[in-house]
Amino acid sequence: MVSGLRSFTHRTQTGEAVLDTDNGEELMHVQAGVDIVLNNFPRHSHGTLYISTKQVIWLSDVDKEKGYAVDFLSISLHAVSTDPETYPVPCIYTQIDTGAGEDDSDNSDSECNVIQDLSKIREMRLIPSDPTQLDTLFEVFCECAELNPEPNDEEEEQHDWVFNTDQMEDEEAEEEGFDSQNPSNSLGQSNGNHDLARTVLELQINDKRFEDAEEMENNGDGTHR
Amino acid sequence: MLFFSYFKDLVGREVTVELKNDLAIRGTLHSVDQYLNIKLENTRVVDQDKYPHMLSVRNCFIRGSVVRYVLLPPEGVDIEILHDATRREARGG
Repeated sequence: MVSGLRSFTHRTQTGEAVLDTDNGEELMHVQAGVDIVLNNFPRHSHGTLYISTKQVIWLSDVDKEKGYAVDFLSISLHAVSTDPETYPVPCIYTQIDTGAGEDDSDNSDSECNVIQDLSKIREMRLIPSDPTQLDTLFEVFCECAELNPEPNDEEEEQHDWVFNTDQMEDEEAEEEGFDSQNPSNSLGQSNGNHDLARTVLELQINDKRFEDAEEMENNGDGTHR
Repeated sequence: MLFFSYFKDLVGREVTVELKNDLAIRGTLHSVDQYLNIKLENTRVVDQDKYPHMLSVRNCFIRGSVVRYVLLPPEGVDIEILHDATRREARGG
């Protein structure tokens, strides 16, 4: 379920973004002094960026009624853009999945300077006044994107990480950064001398379909479930 | 899981990721996670005429669910290991 960009006006009395903490949403990062550009519309200056475990929120510091939010589920990609030919100032570039097919209606929108339909916005650029923050923002985006897998993947996800072999192998796997409990560790970094044969063996053992099948030799310790 | 393991082995190599919106991005595979989210470095857009607005970015995170294809470097494909792995998968099914 992707929803694209939407307006966000839910603020506290002091003007900060209100999060859905009842449903476990947590604030991950706040960045003051961020400008925003939607598609090719004019740049909005003087805003504050809130990155939560669920969404990215930009709130104008000037106009308290102005704010935008997009779920991480709708962010197809994000990147650090430092090429002046792409955009004159360094920024975080994001593509937004609107859930709709390709159409050119946003082109007609951009001829006037008024955004007619936020849900058709496909690109968002975030420009921090301090460009040294770009890498930090990029990493926070990565971390939060990983916290938001596709909802229909959840069932599969649960048995992806069951290591029903002996404890030894389990520990080994965690050392290599397989521990899905630790988000900062969950990307599969290069492990140098990676042993594909071993990963293939893990594949075989962890595949649910093998559980009732013949592969007893891999479960010799009797922990076969 | 098969693809996750396989892509992890391609870290550091040059791949092309084609998105479901037809955008194709080439870059060095930095990392991949269990959801097949892909991080690329030194990226460039393959079809620059069609997508002039994002000529190049330094690094890029692509959501696994929007990936259509990943084009692998031929030398990064070990047919033997893939055969073996797919055979094992198939035996279970």
